[in-house]
Amino acid sequence: MSGTFTKAMARNIFYGGTVFFFLLLVALTVDTTTNLHKSDNSANLTPQVVAGKHIWETRNCIGCHTLLGEGAYFAPELGNVYPRRGPEFIKAWIQSQPTGAPGRRQMPQFHLTDQELDDLVAFLKYTSEINAQKWPPNIEG
Amino acid sequence: MARNSGPETTARRLPGDLAIWFFILAELLAFGVFFVVYAFTRANHVELFNAEQLTLDRTSGAINTVLLLTSSFFVVRAVQVAEAGFSRRAAPWLAAAFACGAGFVVVKIFEYAEKIGAGISLSSSTFYMFYLSLTFFHFMHVILGLVIIAAMWNGARTGRYGPGNMNGIETGAAYWHMVDLVWLILFPLIYVMR
Amino acid sequence: MKYTSQSVALPYFIAAIGLFVGQIVFGLAMGLQYVVGDFLFPEIPFNVARMVHTNLLIVWLLFGFMGAAYYLIPEETETELYSPKLALLMFWIFLIAGAATILGYLFVDYNTLAEMTGNNILATMGREFLEQPLLTKIGIVIVALAFLFNISMTMLKGRKTVISIVMLLGLWGLAIFFLFSFYNPGNLVKDKFYWWWVVHLWVEGVWELIMAAMLAFVLIKVTGVDREVIEKWLYVIITLALVTGLIGTGHHYFWIGTPGYWQWWGSIFSALEPIPFFAMTVFAFNMVNRRRREHPNKAAVLWALGTGVMAFLGAGVWGFLHTLAPVNFYTHGSQITAAHGHMAFYGAYVLVVLTIISYAMPLLRGRAANSQRAQVVEMWSFWLMTISMVFITLFLTAAGILQVWLQRVSDTPMPFMQVQDQISLFYWMRLWAGVVFAVGLVTYVASFFVKGESKPLITP
Repeated sequence: MSGTFTKAMARNIFYGGTVFFFLLLVALTVDTTTNLHKSDNSANLTPQVVAGKHIWETRNCIGCHTLLGEGAYFAPELGNVYPRRGPEFIKAWIQSQPTGAPGRRQMPQFHLTDQELDDLVAFLKYTSEINAQKWPPNIEG
Repeated sequence: MARNSGPETTARRLPGDLAIWFFILAELLAFGVFFVVYAFTRANHVELFNAEQLTLDRTSGAINTVLLLTSSFFVVRAVQVAEAGFSRRAAPWLAAAFACGAGFVVVKIFEYAEKIGAGISLSSSTFYMFYLSLTFFHFMHVILGLVIIAAMWNGARTGRYGPGNMNGIETGAAYWHMVDLVWLILFPLIYVMR
Repeated sequence: MKYTSQSVALPYFIAAIGLFVGQIVFGLAMGLQYVVGDFLFPEIPFNVARMVHTNLLIVWLLFGFMGAAYYLIPEETETELYSPKLALLMFWIFLIAGAATILGYLFVDYNTLAEMTGNNILATMGREFLEQPLLTKIGIVIVALAFLFNISMTMLKGRKTVISIVMLLGLWGLAIFFLFSFYNPGNLVKDKFYWWWVVHLWVEGVWELIMAAMLAFVLIKVTGVDREVIEKWLYVIITLALVTGLIGTGHHYFWIGTPGYWQWWGSIFSALEPIPFFAMTVFAFNMVNRRRREHPNKAAVLWALGTGVMAFLGAGVWGFLHTLAPVNFYTHGSQITAAHGHMAFYGAYVLVVLTIISYAMPLLRGRAANSQRAQVVEMWSFWLMTISMVFITLFLTAAGILQVWLQRVSDTPMPFMQVQDQISLFYWMRLWAGVVFAVGLVTYVASFFVKGESKPLITP
């Protein structure tokens, strides 16, 4: 089968196709943004939750844990740790680190104040109430 | 190029640019996978799909089918006229094709306005997700096709096409026929078939 | 080397290789921490080691991309670089800023680092791969803008080839999408949504343009195939990459609080994402088979073909394995993700940077190709690193399948840490494969110091 194959046409299709699919991504993004409040639990996005997210970020928790499945795979998923363990366990756990058990994975001691611990727990509670389409499959994360 | 070198080779020649055929194949693959996924999902939710399919406006769908088919016919005429060496006379055919395509867009906008007015969105139900996704994905193709036809119209008007230079118009025509073809599957699949 | 200003690529390439070595050192440390949990604790906890590992990867790849641009843009545009001085200045700024950031990670408590560097003014830190302090992020933007200015001005005064245009588009896209790293809303879902506009639109978007342009450049040079042919295919391949990859972003929007329709859109389009990678493999082999000359640099040809194959396997096949929403429901955030991440980054981006280094380095050192002996050592390093990466991927995949089964599929799901104990055998094997990779990397570095009669440079 013979035919024409020109660089100019390949270029036009590249630009046209790229713009087309980028606009499609933008269109879907607009729809997502306008409907996000139905699933993102933003109704419960209190200043305390935002403060907790700040604690989460500045202690680089994502460097070991996953949150809604994203992060490092060294330590347990924390998107659903609130229903799995409950607030008191979470706080006690963070305060008692590191375990120092020889050969076991260790979590650093972050010296969080009671206020900071409460903020972090509020953030984890808010995260656990995000509608993540029934993920994770079970409570173990 | 095998152009004008005898009937045997002409018959085997791929019209339009090879690059558009890669693009068309990729697009057909995307639509094809979407259609297959739709069919399987429908089989699992027959009652929901049957009920919600009834809410679709088949009349506007039918009008749009006629519009696209007519538009494709006009594009074919434009290509034939250009091939015969009358590039400028291809322009009115392309303008007519554009008008039909624009008609499709207008009808579709009315259809969407009615659906959005009824509170239907991508997140309403699995059926509406498919209905809106597939038709909107196709709708954007029609708009891109119209941009291409406009460019072809401009080219035809300035006498760019002729027996020795058919690549541009054939390539655009191939793309427009694909848009038409996809609608011919999409319309019965989403609107009619139960 | 046809233009003297191309030589600014040399420090970029050397820095890239140096940081690559650093990346692997920390990779090995983490591999050991996976099985001996308290290794290096509390001096270098896992989260710090991982941050150094991933950030070094990104930085050295960026060094590689910039070096590649400084090498190939003058040659493509047939003109000297707009400002070699600016390029060298940016090199030192980027290297010092990068080194300072890594040292900050290692020697300053992360929270203190955040407070010191203005994170309370604009909080951007503590998100995967975007852990850099605000100052570093701003530094990256400044270096990127100066770099793009330099390259764009060079382009404007010279010949505009497809390769240089695609390279430039990719690099501009890289800089533009990085700006989303400054957007960090309190709403976690929005944060994650736009985080992917950096990460996904980099590695499955604009970086593919850079990669394809680099590969096309080397293929033209080593095969002697007509530029017209290679450039046409370059356009077709990057079109396919963006057509599938842009909406393919949706495969990250399954379980992070975004609407459910992304499961359909993301699955369908990302299922097509292997196609451009497959096309790239076919393209590379085809061009080499149609070669019109026997280039003396056999090693560069090997790296180029390896890029095609390994990118297809790592990004294409291993990506497809877990990209469909019903599968990803179980595999999301497991060792299967890690397996894919390792092979995809190695296959696509590590190898393409090593390809251009392999091609350009001898020329920068004033010879057409390295000596036969040096090339043999270099090819050994290719096989050692590539095969060990295949095994790292296989072991992580095995670990991942077991993990998914024990923790998520079975009727009596086990807790995370218990599962980790169960699969430690695979982590041990991954570690040993990692050691072989390190041996391969040492071999690679050694290949630059192997003496022997090199092919002289004949200027045409």
